Amino acid sequence: MHTEATPAQADVSEADLIKQCQAGDTAAFDQLVTRYRTRIFGMIYNMVHSEQDAWDLAQDSFVKAWKSIGRFRGQSSFYTWIYRIVTNVTIDWLRKKQVKGSGTEFDDAVQLKEIDPASRTVPKADALPHERMQRKEIRARIDAAIQQLSPEHRAVILMKETEDMQYHEIAEALGCSIGTVMSRLFYARKKLQNLLRDLYENV
Amino acid sequence: MKTFEEKWTAWIDGKLSGAELAEFEASLPDKAAAEAEKRDAQKLGTFLKEHLPCAAMGNEDFFNHQLRERIAGDEPAIRDRETTGTGRAWWPIGRLVWVGSTALAIFSVCTFFVMREKAPTDQSQYLTQILNARVDPAVSPNATISMFETQEDKVTVLWVEGLQSLPSEYAHK
Repeated sequence: MHTEATPAQADVSEADLIKQCQAGDTAAFDQLVTRYRTRIFGMIYNMVHSEQDAWDLAQDSFVKAWKSIGRFRGQSSFYTWIYRIVTNVTIDWLRKKQVKGSGTEFDDAVQLKEIDPASRTVPKADALPHERMQRKEIRARIDAAIQQLSPEHRAVILMKETEDMQYHEIAEALGCSIGTVMSRLFYARKKLQNLLRDLYENV
Repeated sequence: MKTFEEKWTAWIDGKLSGAELAEFEASLPDKAAAEAEKRDAQKLGTFLKEHLPCAAMGNEDFFNHQLRERIAGDEPAIRDRETTGTGRAWWPIGRLVWVGSTALAIFSVCTFFVMREKAPTDQSQYLTQILNARVDPAVSPNATISMFETQEDKVTVLWVEGLQSLPSEYAHK
């Protein structure tokens, strides 16, 4: 699991931080936020395709997490617990916005700063202009395809394919059964295969 | 019992093994096509990993700062709820009991008034008493006499039926 913890922060175990948070220590919560903010933001961004909305939803998710951390009993990992909050907040937001994959949602006015996926932490040298253009076009196609999925299907495919989460972790994060996760993955994959086949066959 | 979709997904992700794997692969009508589909799905996964990058969040420190501000703003309200005990625990028990008993009381009062207004109109205002009696069986064996009385007008009607002859003392009057 990739987090942003610095070596000093890593010395403090997650369980200790959670206990401190439960005792009302906001500084401890700040450390937890620092550990997870980028992944949470990235996950939300891939679902809503707007940097500003992703920021706001990540804020809302962390505020909710702070308010309910007293009820966290450690039966699941903190990561899946907070992902549950994040997916609930994001799916509710998407449902309210009634996004139906029209392709108009993508916020292309905002230039997303991308880190090369092959290197999670250190970006490589700048890509050539035509490569950047090609990447941008591919990204727009993927975003448009993902927008055609229901919020639940989006969450499942992103958790599986980009977060490398296991079925049971996704099930915990979404509050559904493993069978439901597998079934949603089946339909999400089929749809994306139909929409993106020409792209991944040729790139 | 897993559905086909669940088994297919597990097969794509390499999560089937042993007898379950053999059984599933034997159930596929066209294994070559299924294998091609599997490779296709795996390509999709690789493609998504490559092209959905880890989005870099700008202004991370400001994110934390903004969050601290929001939490600090919410803190008094949260603390108040916790210290006064009027938070989550009060709602389900105290308020539900209060709302329930109030609703029951209002319902009882309304029912009382509605029932009270309807009660006097049920009975006919004319007929208060019917008295059936037989006239002398020796003279008129099938004769009956009925008496109707209205309470408000103080009127009594005597209804005689089946008399074979009118008694002489009535005829004189």
